[in-house]
Amino acid sequence: MNVDHPSMNQIEIEHLNKNYGSLQVLHDISLDIPIGAFVALVGPSGCGKSTLLRTIAGLETITSGTIKVAGEVVNDKAPRERDLAMVFQSYALYPHMTVEQNMSYSLRLRRRPKAEIDQRVGEAAKILGLEKLLKRRPKQLSGGQRQRVAMGRAIVRNPKVFLFDEPLSNLDAALRVQMRSEIRKLHKNLGATSVYVTHDQIEAMTMADLIVVLHDGRIEQIGKPLDLYRRPANRFVAGFIGSPAMNFVPAEITADGRAIALGAGALLKIPRAQEPGRKVLAGLRPEHLRLDGSGERLAATVDIVEGTGSMTFIEAKVGSELVNIAYAGTYETEAGAPLTLGIASEDIYLFDPETGRAL
Amino acid sequence: MLQSGFAKYLRDGKGFEGTLIVAAVLYLLVFAAFPLIYTVVMSFQEVDMFTLGTLVRPFAGLQNYTDLFHRPEFAPIVWNTVIFVTLSIAFQLTIGFALALFFLQDFPGSTYVRGLFLAGWILPALVVGAVWRWIFAGDFGVLNYALQSLGLIDGQIYWLSDPAYALYSVIIANIWLGIPFNMILLSVGLAGIPGDVYEAAEMDGANVFQRFLTITLPMMGPTLGAVIALGVIFTLQQFDLVAALTQGGPANASNVAQYWSWQMSFQTYEISGGATVATMMIALVIVVAVIYVRSVQREQSF
Amino acid sequence: MKRYLLLALALLFAAIYLFPVYWMYATALKTSGSIFKYPPELWPSEPLVQVSRVFAEHDIGRYLWNSLLVASGITAITMLLGTGAAYALANARGTKANIALFLVIVLQVLPPSLMVTPLFVAFNHVGLLDYPRTAVVLATAAKTLAFYIVLCRATFTQVPRELKDAALVDGNSHLGAFFLIILPLARNGILITSVLVFLQSFGEYVYSRSFIATRELQTATVNLATYLSANSADWVGLMNYAGIYVAPILIVFILLQRQIVTGLTSGALK
Ligand SMILES: Nc1ncnc2c1ncn2[C@@H]1O[C@H](COP(=O)(O)OP(=O)(O)O)[C@@H](O)[C@H]1O
Ligand SMILES: [Mg+2]
Repeated sequence: MNVDHPSMNQIEIEHLNKNYGSLQVLHDISLDIPIGAFVALVGPSGCGKSTLLRTIAGLETITSGTIKVAGEVVNDKAPRERDLAMVFQSYALYPHMTVEQNMSYSLRLRRRPKAEIDQRVGEAAKILGLEKLLKRRPKQLSGGQRQRVAMGRAIVRNPKVFLFDEPLSNLDAALRVQMRSEIRKLHKNLGATSVYVTHDQIEAMTMADLIVVLHDGRIEQIGKPLDLYRRPANRFVAGFIGSPAMNFVPAEITADGRAIALGAGALLKIPRAQEPGRKVLAGLRPEHLRLDGSGERLAATVDIVEGTGSMTFIEAKVGSELVNIAYAGTYETEAGAPLTLGIASEDIYLFDPETGRAL
Repeated sequence: MLQSGFAKYLRDGKGFEGTLIVAAVLYLLVFAAFPLIYTVVMSFQEVDMFTLGTLVRPFAGLQNYTDLFHRPEFAPIVWNTVIFVTLSIAFQLTIGFALALFFLQDFPGSTYVRGLFLAGWILPALVVGAVWRWIFAGDFGVLNYALQSLGLIDGQIYWLSDPAYALYSVIIANIWLGIPFNMILLSVGLAGIPGDVYEAAEMDGANVFQRFLTITLPMMGPTLGAVIALGVIFTLQQFDLVAALTQGGPANASNVAQYWSWQMSFQTYEISGGATVATMMIALVIVVAVIYVRSVQREQSF
Repeated sequence: MKRYLLLALALLFAAIYLFPVYWMYATALKTSGSIFKYPPELWPSEPLVQVSRVFAEHDIGRYLWNSLLVASGITAITMLLGTGAAYALANARGTKANIALFLVIVLQVLPPSLMVTPLFVAFNHVGLLDYPRTAVVLATAAKTLAFYIVLCRATFTQVPRELKDAALVDGNSHLGAFFLIILPLARNGILITSVLVFLQSFGEYVYSRSFIATRELQTATVNLATYLSANSADWVGLMNYAGIYVAPILIVFILLQRQIVTGLTSGALK
């Protein structure tokens, strides 16, 4: 996919800034969203995800920058002129309309012929399994059904772009997992570009083709899910992507530049040579720490053990630092027991302690 | 599609809501803020029937104010106003609070019966005044009869024509008018106190009175403040009752500032005098309103 | 058992409180002779319905019509200007919106009897006093507008913001979203508040008394007040007049009592 060619991008955002009064909530956002992609905007709550999505929708004005949809600048276009559909966190179903009326509302506003409206609503209802609920009001539906109606309202329009603002966060865990794959399937079948906001990195990792990590109104990194996992650009992304979160341990590059010295006296070989003597933060993913001591070794003492059967989570002390270990399987140990941990050299991440940038 | 920029701004931009606010605010500026300022201006001018038609009138400096302060009726009317406001609010509040507490109890139809009290609030004050005038009637009035049967008085009280009673008659009618509003607002405040706080206090061994003093009153503080402020505002607006009952008489015995101001402007045509009283009263009302708004806004902001 | 005792007590309180209303209608049913009995008859011994006589004698229809016209005009202006403003103020944040809201609330509290002097002078100046009922409508609407905006704003804040967003994305303009989505959802609150404004305006006195000089154009309040000071002994006539006047108000009140109470309690303290 040639991302540089303008016609391949459904949405292009250039140097977008957004202020609420004197408070700047989006800083110099530039982002290209290819046609047909499923893009997740992910980040902690309050980082500006919804605001970014709403500027794309035209629900918020922007302070500076440009937004293009299908190559056309839409900065001054009203939401209704942008041909986007949106699914809201609260679903925002019109309480005074039936399911059918909710779903057909946008088509009626566009004065489509009755036959076409019926046909499209019928199709959408079938896809989402809503046929029996068409005459009900939103109040008479369960949370999951409401969520489906909100999706239905978006897909009857057959829009260029779907925008989702945390659409699953009001559902219970089981339903959330189910809807995740349904939305994916829907995207595959409809092929429309989707921008999906979530604070849940697992949702982003499992659903998206491309993930945009936001933090304090800035883009930290854009990449495919596994790229973000494997090559986080900075400490924030490294800590945000992956669960349980990456361990960060202060360390120093040895004199030959090929290993790091941890506080506990361990020496670990690193994949690429670094400036000798430099202070760094070593990032060790819990699932990369092996209990058989293979690879680069470091000594630790068990602090807390929690087992779920399929997984064992150990909190251990390496010198004075606490690290988490995720072990797939059952591992019996107890607090105070000594451990020899191992990690593959290429699984060791290094970050600048000041700037947080990956080294 | 041809659409002028402004029409689009109205339909799709910030313009729609902005226009709605501006329209209402403009109306208020013309019909409320302008008269407000004009009152202040007139209080510094010589205004009489001959200069009514012009805008430019002789500047009077503080003359209107000094004239006003030297009138013999000034002090009594100010004092009447103070009594009118204080007693009205004290009784409206106490009775309203007592009723609100009473209706807080759980019994069938409590909401409905409580709602019946609002009939007093919704009736035109002038009509209420007319009815009370009949109740207060000296020789055949039902109030005198009731008080006599209860053994509280011997002869007749001439409520409206006796200078010693006239003001208090107006106050009684005004209390009647104000009770429902106080009760409803205080009910809202009381409903906002979570029940488990009382249960916790009961567990700690507080009796009914202790619970009222240590929980209800402190937690109602902000509501009480708002209700008192609104009470001052509404009491200072009360005109119709005075007009229906005593017209400020006899000999200004029941006159209050807001009625006096109108009398000067519309009955004795001392328009600068009326404007001067109005200016001082409006200043007072605005101060109370500002305190009220700020306290309510602070209340909402956490 | 205790609960019914409380109910009985509550009814007693309400009866005491509403006695003046009862007394108005009881007197209206008495003969002009029997009202001057002492002790007074608490229940009219020989009730006499004199409504139509009083109604015709005092030409009450004309004055009620004037009151109705004035109240309708006031309510119309208030709804027209106030509904949109209340909606916009419910959405808006920021300093400008706060100032607007502050202005609205502060202007609501100004006593009409103090504002009437400058309004009279100004209306006289621009010739509005030749249309006294219009003058009353314009002046009173400034007062009810603020009240209406405050109460309706509370109604609009209960409509979720995202509904408007959804409507905009679905293809509405701001105007369309307001009329097709928001207004229907806020309808009940708006109607109740409008009823309250109407009832208030129906009993307006200060401005009518001050602006309307022609007898034929008087509202019922002014006419009743005139009658009150001129014939202060004709209590039967007066109470009939008053009773006729407030009957529609009381009927509306009884029909809408529950909604009025909720409407007031939701917005009154905000
Ligand atoms: N209308 C608004 N006025 C002022 N600040 C706002 C407004 N909407 C959002 N914000 C602020 O902008 C920031 C980003 O909000 P939002 O985009 O909703 O975050 P997210 O969706 O990532 O949780 C937050 O700090 C929030 O407080
Ligand atoms: Mg959000």
